[in-house]
Amino acid sequence: MKTNKSIVVIGGGIAGITSALELANGGSTVYLIEREAQIGGQAASFCCKATEVCSKCSVCLLPQRLSEVASHPQISILTNSTVTGVSGGLGNFQVEVEQKPQYISPQNCIACGMCVEVCPTTPKAIRPPSPEAVPYSYSIDESQCLRLKGERCNHCREVCPTDAIAFEHKLERQQLNAGAIIVATGFDVFNAREVGCLNYGRYPNVLTGLDLERIFRNQGSLKFSSNGKKPKKVAFIQCVGSRDENHGYCSQVCCKYAIRLARLIIYQNPDTEVTIFYIDLQTAGKGFAEFYKECQESIRFIRGVPIEILEAPSDRVEVRFENISEGRVERENFDLVTLSVGIAPREDSWELAKVLGMNLGDDGFFDTKEPFNSVETNVEGIFLAGACQGPKDIPDSIAHGISAAERAMEVLQRCK
Amino acid sequence: MQVKMGIFLCDCGGSLKNIDFPRIGGNLENLEDVAFVDISHNLCLGEGKKAMTSRILTENINRVVIAACSPEFCEGDFAVLLEKLRLNPNLLSLANIREQCSWAHEGDVSAKALALVMMAVDRARLLEPVETKEVAVKNEVLVVGGGFCGMKVSLELSQLGIRTTLMERESTLGGQIRELEGFYGPQREAMIKAVEKAETIEIITSAEVTGVEGKIGDFTVRIKKGKKKILRTFGAIVFATGYKTEVAAGDFPIKPGVNIISQQRLAQLLQAPTPEAKPETIGFIFDLFDENSRFPTLATLNGALAVKQRWGSEVYVFCKNVKVDSEGVEKLYREAREQGVVFFKFDEKPTISADDDRVKIEAKDVLLGEDVTLTCNLVVAEEKFLPSEGTEGLSSLLKIKTDSRGFYQEENVNIYPVSSERKGIFFIGNCRGDLGLGRVLTDIFSVVSRIRELLSPGVVEEVDRVKVDSQKCVACLTCIRVCPHSAAQLVQIDSEKVAADISQLACDRCGICAAVCPAKAIKFEGYSDEQILAQIEAIGAL
Repeated sequence: MKTNKSIVVIGGGIAGITSALELANGGSTVYLIEREAQIGGQAASFCCKATEVCSKCSVCLLPQRLSEVASHPQISILTNSTVTGVSGGLGNFQVEVEQKPQYISPQNCIACGMCVEVCPTTPKAIRPPSPEAVPYSYSIDESQCLRLKGERCNHCREVCPTDAIAFEHKLERQQLNAGAIIVATGFDVFNAREVGCLNYGRYPNVLTGLDLERIFRNQGSLKFSSNGKKPKKVAFIQCVGSRDENHGYCSQVCCKYAIRLARLIIYQNPDTEVTIFYIDLQTAGKGFAEFYKECQESIRFIRGVPIEILEAPSDRVEVRFENISEGRVERENFDLVTLSVGIAPREDSWELAKVLGMNLGDDGFFDTKEPFNSVETNVEGIFLAGACQGPKDIPDSIAHGISAAERAMEVLQRCK
Repeated sequence: MQVKMGIFLCDCGGSLKNIDFPRIGGNLENLEDVAFVDISHNLCLGEGKKAMTSRILTENINRVVIAACSPEFCEGDFAVLLEKLRLNPNLLSLANIREQCSWAHEGDVSAKALALVMMAVDRARLLEPVETKEVAVKNEVLVVGGGFCGMKVSLELSQLGIRTTLMERESTLGGQIRELEGFYGPQREAMIKAVEKAETIEIITSAEVTGVEGKIGDFTVRIKKGKKKILRTFGAIVFATGYKTEVAAGDFPIKPGVNIISQQRLAQLLQAPTPEAKPETIGFIFDLFDENSRFPTLATLNGALAVKQRWGSEVYVFCKNVKVDSEGVEKLYREAREQGVVFFKFDEKPTISADDDRVKIEAKDVLLGEDVTLTCNLVVAEEKFLPSEGTEGLSSLLKIKTDSRGFYQEENVNIYPVSSERKGIFFIGNCRGDLGLGRVLTDIFSVVSRIRELLSPGVVEEVDRVKVDSQKCVACLTCIRVCPHSAAQLVQIDSEKVAADISQLACDRCGICAAVCPAKAIKFEGYSDEQILAQIEAIGAL
């Protein structure tokens, strides 16, 4: 049978996007399959951490790549889609894809926003895309939309200048033929609620690193939404969901994002005291040594991870930690505690592993064929890119994405 | 050529209600050089594009002004459309009247919209075509450095049928691969044999690069082999010149010797037959000189585990932070502790002194909160991870900057991990920092991908955007000094005049040269002084 030279990339995060671009620029036809309505993945919700200088967090690498992918003639993007079945093998995979009904066609939507103005529900059933979203089109929330709930509303459709709205859309199934598959499904951010003693979700001033990323991304600065006040005393707790009995690995990103965020907080509000509780600080990486050295002057680093977080008077929280040199438990009150949550394997990894016939490693990430070959899997023709293989930061995910694309092209070229 | 301009205004499906389109259309219609003004509802969709295409063709215009949404969304599409109509895409001028005008303000914004379009019109008048042409590339690659990385890249490229010359400074291939052998298994001899056997790989040993000229697709490289000088041309160059490690004599209060050894020496001892007197107590120490390197952690964990297994010694590790942020290292750390390796963590540097024929380490362990004194038969010292010999010389030869630790700097550490500021020249593996084997392998595949993308079409595209007016140029060399991409050079114009020239292939179109040129001899088409001033004046005139 003839080898199919097109390639399916599952997952539209930074790794999958990089792979897709690399493949398409190398001449392959690419189907980029994304479960959400927009591509971009986790990195799309992170914030720029620059102070007066760039702190090289790499978050800004995403938007440019997104628009490159969106306009690339050899990449077809399938959003709202999941892979439900795979048959065949290297050179000739058949990939079953299920696409949720898209009531607004991304091809026709010009994001003019007239539909939202006439939508009668509160909150609005039609939502605008985030500023850098790709595709840049509106979406309908099924649970809010009167029409989809069976009523006779047709306001949005009447005003839409491009006939982009189609309520009759149904779930669609299609089969894609491809020579190879790249899996780039990313990771789950560790759910901090699993560590009960830290009381995340219970106290409003216990946040996660991800929460903080979103606050900075959406508001530009750190303040409590309840009273608009800026926290004066902030703590970061490292290794939440990494390097513990359930997670036999280092998430590789948390030390760096915590230090960068801490610096950003101090830059915006110089009289803020920031403390970072850690086990081992991970300060390796190009240019990070100098950055860390600078931060040592303004940030207090304490070795050892706190035991628990309790409520304290006047909207603060009490952190209990071991003072090692004194040999006793210390209590200190903070306005805000940030849990530096790590990278966890996606909860649904095993489902995809089953569909594709891949193995999962000890930690729950997709397993590779052999150690140190981090892109090839036990199934010939299926490759891994990015954090679905193990924790990676943005630059490492990009490098890994390129690497996976290269392997896939090489293997396909060899197969007759 | 007489300028003939077509203006397309898009009201985004009628949603930009705070702009009076007929009014601004009327204002624009009577401008000089304007052939027509069209108002469309959806320029970006099939229907709109179709109408636009037929208008451009029937009116035979040579400048296109589009006022619509952000160029972020539409510019690429419109450029492609123009190209199909055989109009140079640089003859397109855009105004963003949606995000930067209609959406940004309350109330009627027709005046601002008109101003934005006027700016685009005045710029369009001065635009000139930017030609692109294809230049053939040489389908051959030079790989400098015959260690693991260099050999692996050569082998991968030979799989793709790309001819490779593998150059090594020493008389044999292999580099520091021996250090990997014990722990990870790449077999030195087997790998060297494979490289030697590959027909597409030519090996030059005992040779060094003494000069690199030219640009992507066509580099001329001067190679010195003994007294012989070789001149060769390559389409791309990969540097995989590796690293070196070092325990400097001055680093320890007592002279390293029999009982303070390097990690490399330990690896050798472990490969030799088991010694008769196995050291009873072994101390490992790192984070004394370089706290920000992953290499000592990995070397220590591997060494400590091997010592435990082979010699059954008591093993103690002194360090500040265990660097576990690479794949599998946390597991290795756990295994070491399970095997009985004891870790002490210090904040202040421990003192090391001689104790008869043994070595005494005194440290304050921050986890126990107590002073620890340990007398070891053998101390395995931290090695500094340094750029290999000659990195500095090569970097100034290539005009490629190094980072604060002396390793090759990537163009952008993040975007293209293996690329450099000079197109077609790549750096991979530990010559660009302390990467570890996993990341080194990623580098190898990345560079193969880059080279495939570059060489397989057989041609590269040359975009003629930055031009030097040789009559204005006073050969002050400013552009040559500031160009980060080594694209500027001096050329002989005639018997008397020399002037700067920008190689369009090497040029990354950053615009620095055009901005700094004191004689204003360099023009960056699309953003020339005249074009930018025309836009500013357009607002002033309103």
